[in-house]
Amino acid sequence: MSVLDAKVLEPTVFELSSPGRTGYRLPALDVPELDPVAAFGPQAVRTAPPGLPELTEPDVVRHFTRLAEMNHHVDRAIYPLGSCTMKYNPKVNEDLAGLPGFAAIHPEAEPQFCQGAISLMYHLGRHLARISGMDEVSLQPAAGAAGELTGMLVVRAYHEDHGNPRTNVIVPDSAHGTNPASLTLAGYHAVEIPSGPDGRIDVDALGKALDAETAAVMVTNPNTLGVFENRIREVIDLVHGVGGLVYLDGANLNASLGIVRPGDIGFDLMHYNLHKTFSTPHGGGGPGSGPVGVKRHLADYLPTPMPRRDEARSRGVEYYLEHDRPKSIGKVHAAYGNFLVMVKAYAYILTLGPAGLRRVAENAVLNANYLQARLAGDYDLPQKGYCQHEFVLSASRQKDRGVKALDIAKRLLDYGLHAPTVYFPLIVKEALMIEPTETESRASLDRFADALIEIAKAAESSPESVTAAPTTTPVARLDEARAAKDLNVAWEGR
Amino acid sequence: MPYVPNTERDRDEMLEVIGASSVEDLLRDVPAELRAKAPLEVPGPLSEIELVRHVSELAARNRVEGVVSFLGGGIYDHAVPAAVRHVVRLPHFYTAYTPYQAEASQGTLQTIYEFQSLIVRLTGMDVANASMYDGATAAAEACLMAIDATKRRKVVVSASVSPAARRVLRTMLAPDAVDIVEVPLRHGVTDLAALDGALPDAAALLLQHPNYFGLLEPAREIGERVSSSGALLVASVDPVSLALLAPPGSYGAEIAVGEGQSLGSPMGFGGPLLGFMAARKKHVRRLPGRIVGATVDAHGRRGYVMTLQTREQHIRREKATSNICTNEGLVALTAAVYLSLLGERGFRELAVQVTSKAHYAADALSRIAGVRLCFPGAFFREFAVELPVDAGRVRDELARAGIWPGIPCGRDYDGMDRSLLVSVTETHSRADIDSLASALEAIIATRRVS
Repeated sequence: MSVLDAKVLEPTVFELSSPGRTGYRLPALDVPELDPVAAFGPQAVRTAPPGLPELTEPDVVRHFTRLAEMNHHVDRAIYPLGSCTMKYNPKVNEDLAGLPGFAAIHPEAEPQFCQGAISLMYHLGRHLARISGMDEVSLQPAAGAAGELTGMLVVRAYHEDHGNPRTNVIVPDSAHGTNPASLTLAGYHAVEIPSGPDGRIDVDALGKALDAETAAVMVTNPNTLGVFENRIREVIDLVHGVGGLVYLDGANLNASLGIVRPGDIGFDLMHYNLHKTFSTPHGGGGPGSGPVGVKRHLADYLPTPMPRRDEARSRGVEYYLEHDRPKSIGKVHAAYGNFLVMVKAYAYILTLGPAGLRRVAENAVLNANYLQARLAGDYDLPQKGYCQHEFVLSASRQKDRGVKALDIAKRLLDYGLHAPTVYFPLIVKEALMIEPTETESRASLDRFADALIEIAKAAESSPESVTAAPTTTPVARLDEARAAKDLNVAWEGR
Repeated sequence: MPYVPNTERDRDEMLEVIGASSVEDLLRDVPAELRAKAPLEVPGPLSEIELVRHVSELAARNRVEGVVSFLGGGIYDHAVPAAVRHVVRLPHFYTAYTPYQAEASQGTLQTIYEFQSLIVRLTGMDVANASMYDGATAAAEACLMAIDATKRRKVVVSASVSPAARRVLRTMLAPDAVDIVEVPLRHGVTDLAALDGALPDAAALLLQHPNYFGLLEPAREIGERVSSSGALLVASVDPVSLALLAPPGSYGAEIAVGEGQSLGSPMGFGGPLLGFMAARKKHVRRLPGRIVGATVDAHGRRGYVMTLQTREQHIRREKATSNICTNEGLVALTAAVYLSLLGERGFRELAVQVTSKAHYAADALSRIAGVRLCFPGAFFREFAVELPVDAGRVRDELARAGIWPGIPCGRDYDGMDRSLLVSVTETHSRADIDSLASALEAIIATRRVS
């Protein structure tokens, strides 16, 4: 069966099109109308219209609303993807980012006319620096991976400035896949070191891998098993001993707010995910924001421009953008980064304050440990002991009954809940990586734990009820192999 | 704590289930000597009332009321239809994650598929991805694709590509020690003779069409030259122009990229933006980032999944085509809603209005004594004018009258200190344009800034 003759839940916007409709009206043109062929020449103009759909406003709104209703989302129920920190997105922050004073400002506006925007960027950078113990922060990277790349480019610029860019960056095998991909884009060779059974860095293996060509080591702390690297001081000293830098992947910063400041314990640089730790929505795949924080010895290399404050107003304004940065790696975004996302993170930090941020971390850890305690009997728990903000179960026991981690994930969807991250980290078989976040109530955690326990019991008594899942979602299990084989990434019909 | 539901009683009961004495007990893996010594030095907590007051004050320190702005250069002040804003604010979309569980994410997946389809139609290419951070990083990633495809280590870029995109390109290509050759301009467009000299052994030509100055490039001639050199043509295009102009697929582009902010998103001080990327089908396995494909479910119903994931970082790790994962999903949805709402007729009408008003403005300004268009060629939505006086000073003078006349060109182009890049959209009325012309004329006539 091809996609075209399949049964359809919601037609594409192209199938809904009806010639002659439009959903938006422009004012009457009040200047002479230009004839494109006369102005641009027959060679330069389109010979056929692009084939955009034709619908009225209610057609469009209903189409996308019907599609919206097919989504799980965090306003509805728990979304416990490990390392994704799917916490609640405060509503007031959305309103604030929509204020015309932010939404309608052009990035080329003169500084005197956008003091509020530059001020917000400056102070958000300061707040992030103080939260993490770093000295300077660039807000320019548009997502976490962009932050990693920016960080690795800063590493490269630092070493080049000291005579040798070096060749290698070390990553533990428990790292997020973005780490090796980012360091490769920055021109480095990935050296993977094994982690111990608890996911912690194998300090001996690290020591053997370090040499004068080690540019940096990328560390995720707490690591992807939800375990704090308690020998991190040793790790940092070893890396610094060969002149390397230590990078923190800040994906798991939620566990550390107010408890550990990475800059205090020797990390040289890090990135933050505003769309994880600082509550800005993920938008179904972005926009995110991945600022990079560095210690003083790396500040000159951060992207250009940097928001600055000059209380003496020697340039006539208090806040300005510093463009003249000769050692900078350059620009990593067409403008200054995802500014409207920054507005939301700024609002979040001010709403919580110092004690509130620490309570975020404490409750993220409490919630994760509560779920771990409730589930440890019914699933294998490879890493014993208390976890930080997330933990990893293994469905090995269930797999022996023919129920894989993926089946358990799909069955959870039938309960109206979202699944954990599955098959990551790679070092755990049949991994279910669970991060509830602090914004889930005990009742919500219990609902999730009850569902997972019921699924574990079903895996024993009637495995086929799990492997047949999902049965209540808009579509049943989708044929991913066919999608890759009969590639259809754009609608070809009218 | 408005966002943390646990009460003290919840906490105590949960600790009992865990078998821990306190939250501090749970943190015992964190060595005492590594702990923060003092509470974080950040302001707050603020109540919602205090927060709204403070942040609204910051917003009010950005001047948007009572300003007529002609700033463009890649980011444009188009009207955003109310229906677009409302759809994008559905929490089903904005509070969802990347669609890892396809069966519970069909809304996001189908909208991405529709976005890809719309981009393919506008660009005349075969395939498109789910979005990139912005037009600048999309262009740089396209050049990296071309380097991989051709195994050549030189990228040629026209000086008419936006200065910001060229800066991002330099940053992103720096580690590969790729030779970046910039082709100079002749009458504001790519100098074909210089291009011929630069193309041998090049992996790609990065061309912007219409270019930074709003001018139409000789795209067909360039496309032929690039393809006969064995390089790939990477075309950076303004999506609004594609309602009227021949699409990149018609003049030999192998990869088309661009900035999609103009499709229903506010300017937002330059972010979030929307990078889009489309390509010929033969390059699909080199594309960076997410791609959504149509398929069927176990009952033969149509559905959508993320596909060709073996290109991506979470599987390929250091061998991935790119490191991008989170992209600009919600902004891609915005563009899909916007294009669906305007539709075939509305989008064409938009482009006609934009270019008609830009030409009206160019006529009005070039009638002023001492003012002339910098370049003779055809332009789409913006144009550079040369003034008899320094452009920066004119800008500062006009700002007092609430008019932002455009971006001074001298910062990015040598010898253009007296030139302004003036950009017009459908939101400008004839009266707005007339007020720019008369204010500019008055300044020049009184030589207040000469």
